Amino acid sequence: MLAFSLKSVAASAAIALASALPAGAVDLQFYFPVAVGGGAANTIQSLTDEYLAAHPDVKIDAIYSGSYQDTITKVITAARGGNAPQLSVALSVDMFTLIEEDMIVPFDDYLTSDEDKAWLAGFYPAFMENSQTGGKTWGIPFQRSTPVLYWNKQAFAEAGLDPETPPATWEEMVEMGQKLTKKDANGNVTQWGVRIPTSGFPYWLFQGLTTQNDVIVANNEGNKTNFDDPKVVEALQYLVDLSGKYGVMEPGIVEWGATPKAFFEGQTAMMWTTTGNLTNVRTNAPFDFGVAMLPAGKRRGAPTGGGNFYLFKGTSDAQMRAAVDFIQWITAPTQSAKWTMATGYVAPRPETWETDTMKAYAAEFPPVLVARDQLEFAVAELSTYENQRVTQIFNDALAAAITGQKDAATALKDAQAQAEAILKTYR
Amino acid sequence: MTGFDRHLQTFGALILAALWVLPLAYAIWTAIHPAAYEAHFVLNAPLTTDNFVKAWNAAPFARYFLNTFVLVTAILAAQFILCTLAAYAFARYRFPGRGFLFFLVLLQLLVMPDILIVENYRMIHSLGLVDTITAIGLPYAASGFGIFLIRQTFLTIPTELDDAARIEGAGPLTILWRVYVPLARPTYLAYGLVSVSHHWNNFLWPLIVTNSVETRPVTVGLSIFSTIDAGVEWSVINAATLMTSGPLLIGFLLFQRQFVQSFMRAGIK
Repeated sequence: MLAFSLKSVAASAAIALASALPAGAVDLQFYFPVAVGGGAANTIQSLTDEYLAAHPDVKIDAIYSGSYQDTITKVITAARGGNAPQLSVALSVDMFTLIEEDMIVPFDDYLTSDEDKAWLAGFYPAFMENSQTGGKTWGIPFQRSTPVLYWNKQAFAEAGLDPETPPATWEEMVEMGQKLTKKDANGNVTQWGVRIPTSGFPYWLFQGLTTQNDVIVANNEGNKTNFDDPKVVEALQYLVDLSGKYGVMEPGIVEWGATPKAFFEGQTAMMWTTTGNLTNVRTNAPFDFGVAMLPAGKRRGAPTGGGNFYLFKGTSDAQMRAAVDFIQWITAPTQSAKWTMATGYVAPRPETWETDTMKAYAAEFPPVLVARDQLEFAVAELSTYENQRVTQIFNDALAAAITGQKDAATALKDAQAQAEAILKTYR
Repeated sequence: MTGFDRHLQTFGALILAALWVLPLAYAIWTAIHPAAYEAHFVLNAPLTTDNFVKAWNAAPFARYFLNTFVLVTAILAAQFILCTLAAYAFARYRFPGRGFLFFLVLLQLLVMPDILIVENYRMIHSLGLVDTITAIGLPYAASGFGIFLIRQTFLTIPTELDDAARIEGAGPLTILWRVYVPLARPTYLAYGLVSVSHHWNNFLWPLIVTNSVETRPVTVGLSIFSTIDAGVEWSVINAATLMTSGPLLIGFLLFQRQFVQSFMRAGIK
């Protein structure tokens, strides 16, 4: 009797709840990480609010979820706990991990009309490389970046170089670097030629070098790496030689976080770092600076980086459709332009660059175009199954070669053997 | 010789103190000067409060402070009540399974809380508590460390005091409240400090289990400054760090003597 009355109370409560909501209301949770300063979280919140104002039948809860690392932890925990968000931004390289965990659904099921397919084709192909596998689209590019070369025009002029001409090739970077490296009376270096950060995640910038040497470090299926290819060894040797043989870069592991500061303070005349730093450099560099594509080896090249939108399993069809609609809206030119100008991320669709706002912005500050133009030569960021482990193996090998514990060939050969052991089960 | 020894010791202590205070001093330096002076230590560098203003405005810190305050207070209250009762039972009562149960409590000390995140989340979700302050605190309410610590202290209290109180007509709870708790005060103070500072600084679990400004603690606000893609703004980060750890630092300075004494008495090193 008691059980029965409890049940009926619960049932009537459920009916009351359901009737309180407007018909067809959709609730969405949306996790987003923040990896740049300048109020990026506020920008996402205000964009979401704008969308909600135009769509009263949808409710989106935009939830700031820390760094990329925190976000993937939060997303996976919530999904395992049966409470996955409907959509989340996470690193594009987490695609294989999320597929393996069986947590995400491909976008293809919800992009069926011709219009939708045309929309999907409207992203830069370089960004889609990390978003598609096995013929399906698992991620939609959103906060994406790519590394570029920043140079100090004042230091170039002082060294007798043309301040308007950055190095275009590996050889030029070494030659110019040698002219730019300054020593004091005691032989201590006061200004290095170039700075390629190698702390934390060295594989990312190193992928610039491998791409320029015309080699790809992992296949598109994410189950085979190519670490011991002679061309990868050659690229690593070049990186090691920059501080060894050529003496144009600080020896040892070079800190990522301290790199912009070192550039501002004249400790280095050139630096490689992400376009995400553009606004920071623009605000804080006390001298004239230029931004260029990374120098070419056998070809031009750079990896892409940053985060994609993912759709999570376990939610209704209506929610999925609402989520896709939101993603289509936020990556549309007007919104995308706002996002790019607020953060420095590369707008992922060519049409965004055709808007008047972006044209005006680019006219006023041409360096924003460099990253976009470089996309033509860009490749996918290293991403495999068991991505964390495989990337860690690669990072360790790079660190071993940079610190001189192993020579480049041995370090990479060992890394390839370890990666093989992990990845061969995925073929 | 002894004089020399003493000087050597003082000198060593000074060096250690300097090493310890260096990061804090650097944090203060960068926080009160413009970003250009992060690595230029000149005495006439202009002072500024801009960094604090910038940090304060980067996230709703007022609300976060309130949440953290509610959180640490609630956890501490729950821990004191649960741990005291459990410790009293383990210290003074004989019941079947006592040894095994105490073993389970000790086992909790060996398990890293981080590996339980998924299980805890599932539990919190099934209780319908996701995105509440209760959810952040609940997994920590029954603290193995607290039970162990307070039990050890209770064991050192002579049973003669028990007997005396019982002759006066006191029941078990009165004895606990009038005899045991007052005598264990230094332990409570020491444990309270450890608990408050731990939960004040806890980040990952609160981030995962909460979603809204109304429930998140200051550490989540602080994380908004870890912007690796855009280079690190030390001056603002340090201002934010000082701001969020400020209440703890001030509390420690005010109660420093009591804290140090209670640590010595409670035997926690």
